[in-house]
Amino acid sequence: MEKEILEQGLNHNRRKFLSRISLGIGSVALGSLLIPDLFSGKKEAEDSLMRALPHFAPKAKRVIYLFQNGAPSQLETFDYKPLLRSNFGQELPESIRMGQRLTGMTAGQSSFPLVGSYFDFNQYGQSRAWISSLFPHISSVVDDLCIIKSMHTEAINHDPALTFFQTGAQVGNRPSMGSWLSYGLGSENENLPAFCVLLSRGKGNGQGVYSKLWSNGFLDARHQGVQFSNSEDPVLYLSDPDGMSRDQRRKMLDQISAMNDLSYKEFNDPQITAKVQQYEMAFRMQTAVPEITDVTKEPDSVVKLYGPDCLVPGTYAANCLLARKLSENGVRFVQLYHQGWDAHDNLPNQMMGQAKDVDQASAALITDLKQRGLLDETLVIWGGEFGRTNFCQGKIAPENYGRDHHPRAFSIFMAGGGVKSGIVHGETDDFGYNITENPVHVHDFQATVMHLMGIDHEKLTYKHLGRRYRLTDVHGHVVKDIIA
Amino acid sequence: MSRYSRSIFWLENLLFFWCGLSLILVLGGESLSVPAWLQVAGRLHPLLLHFPIVLLLLAVVLLWLKEENWKSFGKNLLLLGANFTGITVVAGLLLATEDYEGDALSWHKWLGVVSLAGSVLIYFFLEKVENLFRLAGSGLAVLILLTGHFGANLTHGEDFLLAPLMIKEEKVLALEEAEVFRDLVQPIFESKCISCHKEGKIKGELRMDHLEGLQKGGKSGPFILAGNLDESLLIQRIHLPLENEEHMPPKNKLQLTEDEIEILRLWVLSGASFEQKVMELPQEEPLFQLASNKFSTEKSYSFSAADDQDVKELNNFFRKVKPIFPGSPALEVAYFGASTFDAASLSDLKTVKNQVVKINLNRMPLENTDLSFMSDFQNLEDVQLNFTGIKSEQLESLVKVGNLKSLAISGNTFGDEGIETLKKLTQLKRLYIWQSGMTENGRNELKKALSSVQIDFGFDDKGIIYPLNAPKIDFEKVMFQGSTEVKITHPISSVEIRYSVDGTEPDSINSPVYDKPISMTQTTQIRARAFAKGWIGSVEAKALLFKEGLKPKSYKLANDPHKSYAAKGATTLFDGIKGKANHTSGEWLGYTDGPLEIEIFLEKEQKPKSVELSLLFHEGAYIFPPESVEIWTGTAGNWSKLTIPPVAQSTKTEEIRFGLVAYDLPATSFDQVKIKLKPVAKLPAWHQGAGSKGWVFVDEIVLN
Repeated sequence: MEKEILEQGLNHNRRKFLSRISLGIGSVALGSLLIPDLFSGKKEAEDSLMRALPHFAPKAKRVIYLFQNGAPSQLETFDYKPLLRSNFGQELPESIRMGQRLTGMTAGQSSFPLVGSYFDFNQYGQSRAWISSLFPHISSVVDDLCIIKSMHTEAINHDPALTFFQTGAQVGNRPSMGSWLSYGLGSENENLPAFCVLLSRGKGNGQGVYSKLWSNGFLDARHQGVQFSNSEDPVLYLSDPDGMSRDQRRKMLDQISAMNDLSYKEFNDPQITAKVQQYEMAFRMQTAVPEITDVTKEPDSVVKLYGPDCLVPGTYAANCLLARKLSENGVRFVQLYHQGWDAHDNLPNQMMGQAKDVDQASAALITDLKQRGLLDETLVIWGGEFGRTNFCQGKIAPENYGRDHHPRAFSIFMAGGGVKSGIVHGETDDFGYNITENPVHVHDFQATVMHLMGIDHEKLTYKHLGRRYRLTDVHGHVVKDIIA
Repeated sequence: MSRYSRSIFWLENLLFFWCGLSLILVLGGESLSVPAWLQVAGRLHPLLLHFPIVLLLLAVVLLWLKEENWKSFGKNLLLLGANFTGITVVAGLLLATEDYEGDALSWHKWLGVVSLAGSVLIYFFLEKVENLFRLAGSGLAVLILLTGHFGANLTHGEDFLLAPLMIKEEKVLALEEAEVFRDLVQPIFESKCISCHKEGKIKGELRMDHLEGLQKGGKSGPFILAGNLDESLLIQRIHLPLENEEHMPPKNKLQLTEDEIEILRLWVLSGASFEQKVMELPQEEPLFQLASNKFSTEKSYSFSAADDQDVKELNNFFRKVKPIFPGSPALEVAYFGASTFDAASLSDLKTVKNQVVKINLNRMPLENTDLSFMSDFQNLEDVQLNFTGIKSEQLESLVKVGNLKSLAISGNTFGDEGIETLKKLTQLKRLYIWQSGMTENGRNELKKALSSVQIDFGFDDKGIIYPLNAPKIDFEKVMFQGSTEVKITHPISSVEIRYSVDGTEPDSINSPVYDKPISMTQTTQIRARAFAKGWIGSVEAKALLFKEGLKPKSYKLANDPHKSYAAKGATTLFDGIKGKANHTSGEWLGYTDGPLEIEIFLEKEQKPKSVELSLLFHEGAYIFPPESVEIWTGTAGNWSKLTIPPVAQSTKTEEIRFGLVAYDLPATSFDQVKIKLKPVAKLPAWHQGAGSKGWVFVDEIVLN
């Protein structure tokens, strides 16, 4: 009998099982206390990320990226290599080339004759940086520049290289750098988009720019770059139609928003409130944008500073001026593209035209920010997607030659925004072909820009299709040597 | 005797053996010399020690319950536990002869020995002390736990157990206060080295927990030799490959990061000073740069943060008030949107007057706005008032703001009268005052008064003369019927545009001034330039407008154009469609192998007075003016050749452009016209394609 009772006690039955389960549930609950985000939705997690950004005190608040689309030659701009001139026409040694792959444009060439810069170089400023005669204005602001001569990339053709620079991956569909910053930091000025794009075109051999370069990728669409048009009306469809007053517009928006409120109450769809916010932002943009894009009120000295082209919509100079105005008004990331640097032939001639387009306005932008006390908090970046070969593509003459794409070493510069001024970072060999000192990979560059903006590039991530993505993929080291 | 009893017997005997052995080892102490195989046994100590802990604690619990059924089981566990205590103590004593010493070791050692003694005593006197067992048992449990704790401190470091509870104030040290050794080097030693090189556990006879130890070095030699990287063991060891036995920290320990290795290397290289401050290093020194990344260059603020709710309420679409970075009590304020600016809203900021360190009011209309509120903002450091229309008197309120470092007042016309107020702002570090209407003398006076302030007067356009950009010629179509209007515009409204329609280059004196749209009634080349005071006259803008000509009865090409540039054959030349500036547009006829030769048959009433050939020139693409032009008029097959001047030939490579050659036709009557254009047979020597054939491109033939 006693044994039976004992066995009864040890028997498994449903009641017992259920009552023991409560213990199990209790332990799960206890354990869950250690996982704070377990039951909180994703949105909240993202919000908390936003609250924590920037991750540390930012050095720069805004970026103006002057992208020289088509890849300007480093050998005619910032990377002075007298050896290429003295060894004109001699073959590029294989010990230097080391099996570097070529594009389809020079792969068939039987020889790779070295060719030096047609343009003379001089040293400028406290860093004694070498700058070619193409850039008289840029050389006058050299003490504000941080020239990086040791950039390198992975792509060898324009589209992947551009996409790589802008999105951190050679294939499309990833968010652009500006989109990441918009996602991470939001807009300073809620009356303007956080990420604006301005396009211009030089006379040199051009390469396309595509909207995928300023795409939001998998991020929310509000982080997409807003492309300004090259006309006198940079944001299309922004002005009210003839006959509609501001009051009428207000009333209309109020009515629409009242109706949207009703359907929000019914469906609770957050997309509805998002839409209402967009309408409101557009309404505010109606006054904010014309205030900025109106260049007619700029003082004469600004026209002299940027050059008279700054009043011709769609020119690089006009875009630089507009970029300054947008940035000054709190736009987080202004992305310019200037096309026409792809000089496969007739390089000296093409470069002269391109340099004429960008030299004065690029330097003017830096001077202009500086004289307003804004350069400290604005990071200006100037550069292309890769470099150009030290050997000639096609026919060779000292004054007429071409250069093919070269990903292994090229030059860019940055200014303001917490980078050291008046320095040259990195060095290449005497052939200007390989980096010999302080290489800076595109991901390093991206990590550095994020760092200057107060973001840890490893922490700004977004979960998409089951994995977390970031601008620098799984790479990138902050180049601390160039940070002031 | 049963096997059970026999086992108990032997185990009890063994207890005495352990006690004896322990006693001798304790007494032997420092003078023990342990053979290698015994050293291995000693090193089993960290494994063995888990057994007595579990067994003894379990035994204490079982005996504590005083349950008859479990009593003998409990006693046996106690016996087994006591034996394991014995073997653990012995192993421990052997291990202690290796690199251990210090307080923690003595505590551990003696507590271990006492535990052994206690467990043995309790086992043998269990029956006698039954009433006191609970007391004795708990005493034993406490002993075991304490022994374990001190042991763990030896291996894992002091405070290992409670470290997570010790809330460390993660405060980033300011760069000015940081010292190279104390704040850069020592923290590395503390986190990665000291646990094995300290009092109590002096591996390699090296102590890194005090300065003498670092200076003295260990058994292999000097640890640090100032400036000597090769001989300093510190640097040698950390650079050895991970697999090397000498590599430090050992393979299974937390490794040094790249930055840490670099800091140690640079510290030794720079002389391994124990006192130097970071700020004393030269700025370009890599060590300084590593340090400046590590320490905060941000100023830390002593004032308390504002109320979150207050800050939140101040934010709207046109005003942003937020901390300069997360967690900072300091706030920055920015206003956006001049058209929506409300000067009264500035007084809202009073709620955060102690926290605001930066105000950006750029471009807000502040003329006549009372800025005296700023004098209460004692922590203000940075004020931006560019292009706000303020007068210098309004800046008086900033004079008393002692912390003000940076002031941007570009684009406000103070003139020299503003200098008196500005002079008082001696607390400034930087002043941005571009476009202030100050004279050269005024600037010098200000510079003198504010000699410690970095003043940026900005870009000065005086003395710089640039060329204007070209005006823009606007018209509806290049080929017009009847007449057309041409407008000339320039982005700078104040310029004077001068133009010509006679093919001469416009100048600033003789050419007509453009004031209203020009009406064109015939084929014309318009050339225009812009002029303004203080600028070099612009380059020319040119436009070639064609008046559409007669539509002849018929026409015939003698030879076909090149097959790539055939367009629509001869009809192309009379279709009234002007080609684009691109020879591949399909609007141009191109010839290179033979001449373009065309016969045109006129209607009876058609009496053209002139013939115009619309051409394309682009030397870069080998497209040149024709080498020769021949024109015949004819009546019923009787041709007469016109005497015409030769065509001006290219002399250098230029951009792509339209060309026009025009010839008057004789007044005599004719019903046929023949035109022959020969491409350049051999391109000139200066051209990249010297010697090759040139091209001729034509898109329209206009008979007027």
